[in-house]
Amino acid sequence: MEKKLITLTVNDIEYELYINPKTLLVEAIRDHIGLTGTKRGCETVSCGACTVMIDDMAIKSCSVLAVQAEGRRIITAEGLEKNGVLAPIQKAFLDEGSYQCGFCTSGMLMSSEAFLKETKNPTEEQMKEAIEGNICRCTGYNSIVRAIAAVAKGKYAEVKS
Amino acid sequence: MNKYTVINPHEPFRVLNTHVHNIDGIAKVTGRATYTFDVKLPGMLYGKILRSPYPHAKIIKIDASKALALPGVLAVVNGKDDTLGIKQGIWRRYNDLCDEQVLPVDKVRYIGEPVAAVAAVTEEIAEKALDLIDVEYEELPATFEPLDAIKKDAPEIHEGFERNINVTRHIEWGEVEEAFEEAEYIREDWFKCGGQAHMCMETRAAVASYTPDGKMTVWTSTQSAYYHQALLAGVLGLREGNVRVLAPYVGGGFGGKFELDGAQFCACILSMKVRKPVKIIFTREEDFIASKRRTPMFYYTRTGVKKDGTFCAREAKVFTNGGAYTGMGATALYLTGFFHSFPYRWKGYRYDGYRVYTNTLPSTSMRGFGAPQAMWCSEQQIEWIAADLGLDPIEMRRKNSHHEGYVVPGQATIASCGIDQCYDEIKTWIKSKGKLPKNRSIGLSACGFMSGGIFNWFDTPYSFSSAVVTVNNDGTVELHVGAQDIGQGSNTTMAIICAEALGVKIEDVKVHSGDTDHCPADLGAWGSRQTLMTGNAVKMASEDAKKQLLEFAYAQSGLNIVYDLDIKEGWVHAIARPERGETFEALVKRATRGKDGQRIVGRGYYTPHRKGMISPAYSYMLQGVEVEIDDETGKIKLIDSMTAHDCGQPINHLGLIGQLEGAFSMAAGYGYLEYMPFEDGKMMNPNLVDYKMVRSTDMPPANIAEIDTYEPEGPYGAKEAGEGLTNPTAAAIGNAIYHRFGIQMKECPVRPEMIVNALKEKAAAEKEGKKK
Amino acid sequence: MIHDFTYLKPGSVKEALAMLADHADECKVICGGQSLLIVMRQGLVAVDYLIDLKGLNELSYIKYDDKEGLKLGATTTHRIIEKSNVVKKNYPVLTAMEEKLASIQVRNWGTIGGNLAHADAAGDPAPVLISLGAKVKLGSKKGDRVMSLEEFYTDLFETAMEHDEIVLEVQVPPAPPKTGSAYQKFNLIENDQGIVAVAATVTADKGGVCTDAKIVLGNAGVTPIRAKSAEKVLIGKKLTDKLFAEAGEAAAGDADPVSDIHSSADFRRHLIKVLTKRMVKKAWDQATKG
Repeated sequence: MEKKLITLTVNDIEYELYINPKTLLVEAIRDHIGLTGTKRGCETVSCGACTVMIDDMAIKSCSVLAVQAEGRRIITAEGLEKNGVLAPIQKAFLDEGSYQCGFCTSGMLMSSEAFLKETKNPTEEQMKEAIEGNICRCTGYNSIVRAIAAVAKGKYAEVKS
Repeated sequence: MNKYTVINPHEPFRVLNTHVHNIDGIAKVTGRATYTFDVKLPGMLYGKILRSPYPHAKIIKIDASKALALPGVLAVVNGKDDTLGIKQGIWRRYNDLCDEQVLPVDKVRYIGEPVAAVAAVTEEIAEKALDLIDVEYEELPATFEPLDAIKKDAPEIHEGFERNINVTRHIEWGEVEEAFEEAEYIREDWFKCGGQAHMCMETRAAVASYTPDGKMTVWTSTQSAYYHQALLAGVLGLREGNVRVLAPYVGGGFGGKFELDGAQFCACILSMKVRKPVKIIFTREEDFIASKRRTPMFYYTRTGVKKDGTFCAREAKVFTNGGAYTGMGATALYLTGFFHSFPYRWKGYRYDGYRVYTNTLPSTSMRGFGAPQAMWCSEQQIEWIAADLGLDPIEMRRKNSHHEGYVVPGQATIASCGIDQCYDEIKTWIKSKGKLPKNRSIGLSACGFMSGGIFNWFDTPYSFSSAVVTVNNDGTVELHVGAQDIGQGSNTTMAIICAEALGVKIEDVKVHSGDTDHCPADLGAWGSRQTLMTGNAVKMASEDAKKQLLEFAYAQSGLNIVYDLDIKEGWVHAIARPERGETFEALVKRATRGKDGQRIVGRGYYTPHRKGMISPAYSYMLQGVEVEIDDETGKIKLIDSMTAHDCGQPINHLGLIGQLEGAFSMAAGYGYLEYMPFEDGKMMNPNLVDYKMVRSTDMPPANIAEIDTYEPEGPYGAKEAGEGLTNPTAAAIGNAIYHRFGIQMKECPVRPEMIVNALKEKAAAEKEGKKK
Repeated sequence: MIHDFTYLKPGSVKEALAMLADHADECKVICGGQSLLIVMRQGLVAVDYLIDLKGLNELSYIKYDDKEGLKLGATTTHRIIEKSNVVKKNYPVLTAMEEKLASIQVRNWGTIGGNLAHADAAGDPAPVLISLGAKVKLGSKKGDRVMSLEEFYTDLFETAMEHDEIVLEVQVPPAPPKTGSAYQKFNLIENDQGIVAVAATVTADKGGVCTDAKIVLGNAGVTPIRAKSAEKVLIGKKLTDKLFAEAGEAAAGDADPVSDIHSSADFRRHLIKVLTKRMVKKAWDQATKG
């Protein structure tokens, strides 16, 4: 087995890693780069706690090899805020109480963010489907859907002066 | 109300029941919150647990030589060679219920039980090492179902427990036989209630670090740092004060994380061997097979009523599948029998519960604590009785319900009860629905639940809850509590109560919890106790600090003795002239100087005294669930729900809604999805592909109608909201099925195949009936 | 734990096929890995070489013309297929199937070629594609070949591919006029894999007679099953509710389902009966409207 030298772009920062090619993207992010916001909750690509955005697509980082993500733009929950200003979806989560224990939250945020980027004027059903791949044991999902709806409606749109 | 209460009935709450953000929000929505899952320490090793493949076997020999020879492996431990072999249990007061070694010395009693543990430089090496440990077992005959395990010739699982009966519980009041004589209609039914997995998003996790000064520090995903401190000290032979338990953010608990678990125990034993930090995280599969589950139960219940629907008598016999060890299962046995009577008045009531050992995954507490099972049986049977007698099911319930002042004989005094208004709310909701589409129906279930238990089977010498409020010179407040936030928002609830009671803004309160070195002991987050018990302690501590501060304000004010000062939102003022006053910070500075530079410290604590046999207070609710069922496939789809809910005074508004919605999804799962079959002691679906749970696209609206009551025992009149809400949904779904098809589902979770089979049987029976 | 492997990343299909030929049964091919990584983690698949096709954009395409029909490149993601207007217009049943496949995350990275090659009995695309008469093009260093998707599946998790072959393309013939297709899986929760599934494609002639029917059962046996006796019930007749029900009964007989914790074999047969009846009706209504 030969280790591979790769560069991963995570939250617009380039990280050089020297890794066993079987390293999963979630392992590269958490253990090699040290960003622990992305979590793991299962071994069967079921729970979605590891969801990140790759090229604006919500993807479960437990089922991507880190080497496959080279050259792509990876965003994790830590990358949503800009210069300390929370992204609209993060503000919406705070307002709606869309988290309790918080373990699924990073994944939920990424699924929500990716969805909002690609879908305008979503229906209730579409918003529910946006997070269908993410399990939450605490909230019962509805508060998360409310947060997505609030952002979709433009509640957090920047007011241009 | 205690002596520090400032009575101000016309002043609305400034913080209580307002739309306050959860105070851990920034950490949680920015990926900054770290959990035990994330803890990384210098020199840390990774631990893995070798588990028994047999449900019942003697451990003859463990040979770890090959594993130890693998490069990167630093230690392999087992029960016999490396532990004190102490049998522990959470019911510390009763020695015979302390039956679990976690790493057993002589024999294993369930598939998945830890047998040995490895510490290695990487997780991968630790996992490889497991395959190199040779364990010689002598298989023993095993028994898996309680009704088999109590047979005379069943294998003995624990020495000295005849017929494998682990615990018995008896609850009785009134003249039961006489009450049955009075009944004009009697119904008896058998039910089977399934188990359920807690399925916390963060699996069981611990990092233990034992240092040469004899001190053990443990980071763990826990519902009670104090419980784990005490339990670990006991099994490791350490002084409690030399064990520090830290709870970083906790990824869910739901009743499964306050007993000593394999991650904690094995990590400690390994660390004691190598004097290095050791981290053990359960895989999801391990979490399913080796962390205890909701108690499966066989329920027999016989109920006698008058033809006009007045309840007379009930007698219930319950056999619970306790699994291999006692744990919290003893409490679930008690509570199921008690809540099986709720929320109704019975002239005569008798419950006999038997917890039976079997060679399966031990059963423990899980949100609802035996009440979801109790309601599955009670609320369905009551619906069938109403139908049998041609009575309105809501009015029949209403006429028999608890009310304020009711005394459950020998058990409890109900000081606040809003169940009657709940019936009205649900009636309104049903009416608003009008005629339902033909493939839909509504099912109801009432219930009640406790706000913390009065029992001290843990045998703690400490107050059940304590709080310390320290006021800094700049007006910020340090609130130290032992209450554990596991996602339910107790940090926020305590901050709200402190801010309200002290009169400051919530942003000025910093909550410290989850560290036994710095926080007072608290029994922790289970049995829905924290809002009432820790809340009372926080209120007391805050009012203590406020009184000390106001002494300095009164001294300066020159006010006539009949006038009062108060503090609201950081403004100290005379109540009669609120525009005149000073800032909280200004007062604090004076008070601190007045105390020789010492910060003002307020103390509070709470232990229920003389509050009956179960709880100081009870919440009540009635839930309606609208269900759509495909009559050819039996597929169940949840359409809508309404819960009329009495939790006294709500404290944390966003938290309450979150608790209702979350509890609903878990409770619904218990009713129709979370099937957890075992075959010969082996869990058949220990993964999230085959274990089904409610997801976003399955979750209906969870509407809430809050009923206003005031609970004198609770802080500001508050009671629990969160666990009780897990109790009614399974039964409500069962009743929806009954109303749609007239079939009586005796087993939960209900699956489509069961509905289709029941419909077939019904059709066949009707055909037979027609022939005759 | 995943077995250590040497990672190979071909820059073209040609290079990939050469690597496959070199490493034969010491290697496996990965693309989206949404199924493969799970079985690799479980140790069920352990190889010394892993050939990554994910970057092969030359195999990511959707082509359609009225003569040749639809061609899906093997590394096209489910999400691209789901969002394709061309697919939705000409084969709406494929769009509907993709919308319910696993989760958005899986669809964003997982590919149609990888899905078909994995040969999961509970997979959604295979029954639908077989009912549409699809073929697969397989490629190796030695050359290409095309076979019907129906013949592609040989056993549970096994296909007719040789060790040195990969899926290159899925070919779906143009639908004859007055053809309707429907697919439904039975699950307890939305988007979950099916306990069983039924795909039905029927064609009517101008007189309202059924001239062709392809009914494919998913997760009712080790491979997708053509319910031929159900098809016999329908072909050559004007379809009625009675015939839909009869087809359902026949399909249940064609099935070879297992009993597992999710369902007994009998209940699977019952579901097949119900779903077949419904899907044939749905397809027929589509075929005969307008």
